[in-house]
Amino acid sequence: MEIIIVGLNHKSSDIIHREEVSKKILTKELRNGFILDIKRLFNEEIGKQLIQECAVISTCNRAEFIFAVSANSSGGNKNTDYALIIKNIIIKHLFGDDSGSEELQNMFYTYKNFEAVLHFFKVASSLDSMIIGEPQILGQIKESYNEACEFKNTGLILNKLFHKSFYCAKRVRTETKIAAAPVSISYAAVELAKKIFNDISNKKVLLLGIGEMGKIAAKHFIKQGVSEIFITNRTREKAVKLAEELDGYDSKTIVDFSEYYKILTVADIVLCSTGADSYIIKYEDIQPIIKMRKQRPIFFIDISVPRNIDPEINKISNVYLFDIDDIGKIIENNLDVRQQEADFAEKLIDEEVEDFINWKNSLNAVPIIVNLRNKVNGILSAELCKYINGKDENLEAIVNSITNKILHEPITKIKRSGVDFNGLNLMEAAKILFDLDINLSSGTSQKNKTIEKEAFSAKDCETGGDDADNATDGHFYNNKIIQLNK
Amino acid sequence: MIFKNYYFIPILLFLLSYAVLYLKKNNPYNSFIFLIYFTFFIQSIIVIAGLAKYHFTMVIPTYLMIFFNSWILMLIVILFELLYKAKYIVIYATPIVIAALLISYFAPSVDIKTILKVDSWLLIAHIVLILIGDSLFALAFILSLIYILQERKLKLKKNLKIINSGNKKSSGKNEGRLFNFRKNFNYFNLGNGYNLELLDNMNYQCLKLGFPALTVGIAIGIYLSSALFKSALSVRPIEIISLFTWLIYAILLHERVAKGLRGNKAAMLSIAGFVMIILTVGFSFYLFPEFHGLK
Repeated sequence: MEIIIVGLNHKSSDIIHREEVSKKILTKELRNGFILDIKRLFNEEIGKQLIQECAVISTCNRAEFIFAVSANSSGGNKNTDYALIIKNIIIKHLFGDDSGSEELQNMFYTYKNFEAVLHFFKVASSLDSMIIGEPQILGQIKESYNEACEFKNTGLILNKLFHKSFYCAKRVRTETKIAAAPVSISYAAVELAKKIFNDISNKKVLLLGIGEMGKIAAKHFIKQGVSEIFITNRTREKAVKLAEELDGYDSKTIVDFSEYYKILTVADIVLCSTGADSYIIKYEDIQPIIKMRKQRPIFFIDISVPRNIDPEINKISNVYLFDIDDIGKIIENNLDVRQQEADFAEKLIDEEVEDFINWKNSLNAVPIIVNLRNKVNGILSAELCKYINGKDENLEAIVNSITNKILHEPITKIKRSGVDFNGLNLMEAAKILFDLDINLSSGTSQKNKTIEKEAFSAKDCETGGDDADNATDGHFYNNKIIQLNK
Repeated sequence: MIFKNYYFIPILLFLLSYAVLYLKKNNPYNSFIFLIYFTFFIQSIIVIAGLAKYHFTMVIPTYLMIFFNSWILMLIVILFELLYKAKYIVIYATPIVIAALLISYFAPSVDIKTILKVDSWLLIAHIVLILIGDSLFALAFILSLIYILQERKLKLKKNLKIINSGNKKSSGKNEGRLFNFRKNFNYFNLGNGYNLELLDNMNYQCLKLGFPALTVGIAIGIYLSSALFKSALSVRPIEIISLFTWLIYAILLHERVAKGLRGNKAAMLSIAGFVMIILTVGFSFYLFPEFHGLK
């Protein structure tokens, strides 16, 4: 089974192309339809149903398609680059006639097996994000996984891949300082305010205009426990609406836009995000205000583009002004810390990737082991029944126990050979010696695949699939896989 | 063993605390502050032993006087650190204490002679108040320097750290740490209380406490001087410069109370005032030794 990832992200493509892709996979139905189309087109081109599992990850910065493909199916050409075929199909499906252009080809990246797992774990751990260490990506991947489960697109491999990626991301977050502090404009604004003011809880905030960013920043300040917030906006209704949004916070006052100057004498933090196209707070206006404030410091945050506060006011004593660019630069500089931590995080990810790949490789040995066990079990049961006529209630336990004792060494060796890549001969030997009816190259028999799908239905995969009461053959098989990995 | 040699113990311990702060990987500040407290304890014992040698009369040689001054400064710094929970002031102010200790050890000492019998309580009050005032202004000087640097960072928007990277145990590589000065001393750039408002408040507090102490100290000094020289109105350079220093702080206090002066300008005036204090002390000890009854 091959794991293939095809996609584009903020590093490989521009926002226009990302927008175009994201429009086509905007809702979960669209995404499912899209991935089924790709599956169908691929199967048509290859002539076989090779894509076993698939999932789509769509965020504002990336669109990625993940596939688990039965790579070396009987009759298939080992040298066929399925990743390339899938990539071409996706580009063609997304961009139609333009699909041949080199620009588009370069925009989409493909990863296979080890690289694919490595890339996926990096994405989940937020090492591949625009802001390293941001926490949203993991939630988005979890959503994608739930969606894939909902449409029953995942199976043994992708279930394990997603679960492992969650574990890996969690490890990275807890064992490194990559997410030591959430970095956003509102966070930076609050931290800067803390550099000016001793106790933010007795400070008053004036929200001048209610642009989206200003709103988020104001909410962040409220969370930090500022004493009072004044809201002012040209359209008073919008200010009232925002005040309603902040229903859990009592100390809020709506101020007429024409009277916000009066508030400047009492407010300590001013968040400006109006849509005005010129300066609304000017140098000459602030000079008298700072005298009226008896030189108490005032902190202006201008989140609007174009700027609404005259940058010259930063020169006035006890006046501090930061615009969106200043804050952006500060955030950028502070990400150095995260970059250093990212190096350490990559080591953790490498460990997890290796672990996953070992698991995946060991899957090749599972059908042999299961069949071998069944065969020995069957022989023992049949022979023992002849002598004790099935009277002993513990017959099954005795049979299992003897089977375990006999097969312990061979199973361990076969299992290990699957991980070490050099065990194909050992597996072939076991097959010939015990006359096992398995197609090794396909990894799992058709019957087992059906069982796999049943066993790892969407519901089961969320619970981890290790239900102890499983009694069917399929569950027995899945439990074996789990046991093998312990 | 000469008594002065004991001064080397606190000097070495203070230096050791900085080495620990710089080199220790985990929780360096805790070890640092423990060493500072311990050193202060040692320093206190030496001060008491030294003063006891002169029967607490305060008629003591200049080296002990400077040592005593450094002890008062350390006491004030520790009190401020505990009251305002501003860890960094110990880190920044202790070098001044170390400098005072080095001066007390290496600078040529002048022995004192009692040229006139004065009321010993007044003399003690004069010395202790002036030293408390000077130490508070020394702290205000340090706080003003931090304020100006910190404000500069905010105004120029450069080197502003908003992610606390030093307080948590480092998970990454530590190679090159020994010479990575900025990284090693990064953690006291942040933390609780490192903000302009608190710096200004502490500065103001120093002024509010230091100014009355200095005023009363100078007043007692003038009284003692009149008793010593039989004339209260004789004008000497030391008195002019003292008065000038006092005037700077008087203006600063007036501006703060009346006009709400704060921030950068207040910090500048604090620095100017402290420079004047250094000049006054230098003048009084080394240029006009006879004024304080020094040989």
